Amino acid sequence: MAGNAAVLEDGSTLSRLDRGLEKIEIRLALVSGLAVFGLMLLAVLSVGGRNLINKPVPGYVDWIELAMPLIAFMGVSYTQRLGGHIRMDILIGKLKGRLLWTAELISVLVMLILVFFLIWGSWAHFARSFDWAAPLWSRDSTIDIRLPLWPAKLLAPIAFGVLACRLALQVWAYSRAIVTGAQNPIAVPLPLSAAELAAEEARHVSALDEETR
Amino acid sequence: MEAIDIGLIVSGGLLLFVFLGMRVAFAAALAGFVGLTWIFWNKFGYDPSKFMKALTISVKTAGQIPHAKVSNQALSLIPTFILIGYLAYYAGLTKALFEAAKRWAGWMPGGMAVATVFATAGFSAVSGASVATSAVFARIAIPEMQAMGYNKRFAAGVVAAAGTLASLIPPSAILVIYAIIVEQDVGKLLLAGFVPGAFSAIVYVSLIVGMAMIWPSYGPKITGYSWREKFASLPPAFPIFFVVGIIIFFIYNPFGGDPWGTPTEGGALGAFVVFLMAMFKGMRWPQLKDALLETAKLSAMIFTIIWGVLIYVRFLGFAQLPSAFADWISGLEQSPMLTLVLILLAYAVLGMFMDAIGMLLLTLPVVYPAVMALNGGEMVSAAESAFGMSGPMCAIWFGILVVKMAEFCLITPPIGLNCFVVAGVRDDLTVQDVFRGVMPFFFADAATIGLLLAFPWIVLWLPSLA
Repeated sequence: MAGNAAVLEDGSTLSRLDRGLEKIEIRLALVSGLAVFGLMLLAVLSVGGRNLINKPVPGYVDWIELAMPLIAFMGVSYTQRLGGHIRMDILIGKLKGRLLWTAELISVLVMLILVFFLIWGSWAHFARSFDWAAPLWSRDSTIDIRLPLWPAKLLAPIAFGVLACRLALQVWAYSRAIVTGAQNPIAVPLPLSAAELAAEEARHVSALDEETR
Repeated sequence: MEAIDIGLIVSGGLLLFVFLGMRVAFAAALAGFVGLTWIFWNKFGYDPSKFMKALTISVKTAGQIPHAKVSNQALSLIPTFILIGYLAYYAGLTKALFEAAKRWAGWMPGGMAVATVFATAGFSAVSGASVATSAVFARIAIPEMQAMGYNKRFAAGVVAAAGTLASLIPPSAILVIYAIIVEQDVGKLLLAGFVPGAFSAIVYVSLIVGMAMIWPSYGPKITGYSWREKFASLPPAFPIFFVVGIIIFFIYNPFGGDPWGTPTEGGALGAFVVFLMAMFKGMRWPQLKDALLETAKLSAMIFTIIWGVLIYVRFLGFAQLPSAFADWISGLEQSPMLTLVLILLAYAVLGMFMDAIGMLLLTLPVVYPAVMALNGGEMVSAAESAFGMSGPMCAIWFGILVVKMAEFCLITPPIGLNCFVVAGVRDDLTVQDVFRGVMPFFFADAATIGLLLAFPWIVLWLPSLA
């Protein structure tokens, strides 16, 4: 199940790196959120322009095409840090201690290897469209107002690069947890039971509710 | 080795990884990537000198999918709907809706519970997420119902069940995802969710009224609101009506003529109105930032699973697994309806253990072509089809059925998440209490699904007009 999870912190190098990377991840996620907000404003302008002054926003669809990768990729590492990517926890939820950390370690190691190949593949996708010699360095462009596509294509390898750093940190953190046998290791999302998850969700929603009162 | 064998082995491996708790998005991408490499190398006759070549082709095939597949205008609806949901909290819409529903529907037997269902149905319009909807209403509706002497389990059951309305009533993120995966018209699917969603709400209301009439202690009615009070409660809830109305008008114009725009624009306009309302209610940058970060997180989760699964789908195409499965399903010596019911039952079981979005994305690439084949093919006419509807209509009908099924699983023991959420919010309720309270709604939902199966026009008449 998806959900928020707690990430513990202390004064160690690992935890400092975790928080340092988190700062970058939050900025990137915020870029993603602002892109959603920007698309909303753009649509309002587009509808308003078309109906009120009979002048649609030029290249509306092109801008959406360029903004979608921002929304889709920029938050991927932030979500991984918080354990927000969905999974089936019926089995892993039963494990505890070193057995659990070993299972998690295998999982993030496999993900790290996969992400390495994805960086390679998405970089190749970007490289095919980028050309120092071409106008706007671009070999391909959007259909209406001819925006270059390479900046959008570059976002995938960048986001996967940050994700690879996050996964590497988690490999370290889980390995450390296996060695020390810690019950609640730092720098990794700690699994929550269904009941805890529910309480967390409720707490979050209630907090929102209190604030708006 | 035949491609289809590779398809079966890799898909088995994927299920194993998912079961062992790997993040679904990455397990699917991994299966797709490994499968592609295997299939290409298989074509090269497992020549060791050509392994790097197979790997490179596979890396490049897989590597272009994330960017290529997310740059889709229709997909921009998903983050917009998510943003509407988060902004709605700050716009104070939940309380406004509950107050309005109470004043307008309270006169019925079990009035407060009926009001809860209507308020939840309304809130569903701005929230694509069932679990969050249940959490919100557990906090505002259950205390009021208990104060009026409502049966505690009954009150909890109403809230848990009503939360499931969120994913059918537009805007529904899960229906957009379904439309993208099966390559059908997003607008028609959103439109199609409206009537079954309202229908489910009416079934719940009838059940509540019936129960309150048989056992008056379950829920007294509330009376005494003047017309002035009734109308005064409407303006704060206005953005909800605006959002639903605008989305519908941007897909289909009931007065004839062209729709006013695209669903994407409709969603964005709805979000903008809710945003203005939230600003008016005192939302400032810290709260907006929080909403944007939550939107980013949920969007990243959904998009990651979309491109991850699409890498796997690319591999499935090479392995020809979906067409083999479709041939097998449509060749079965039993009525197509029975097969369809069995498929839906399989979803009910799967949904007990898995998140709805993950479940649909993982299974649809194989199951959807099979259901289409069962009906007679993607392009079949209504007259020649097995279920009496054309291919595109069957796609819509099946989409609504599986989404309703996935929602049904949210109130099914042993891990119906909505019930856990309600119990989590209320200290005085155990999970068992909520499951017991929700039981009548469980049967009501089963009946609803049966009706949607038997009378597909409930789902199809609205989209067939558009």
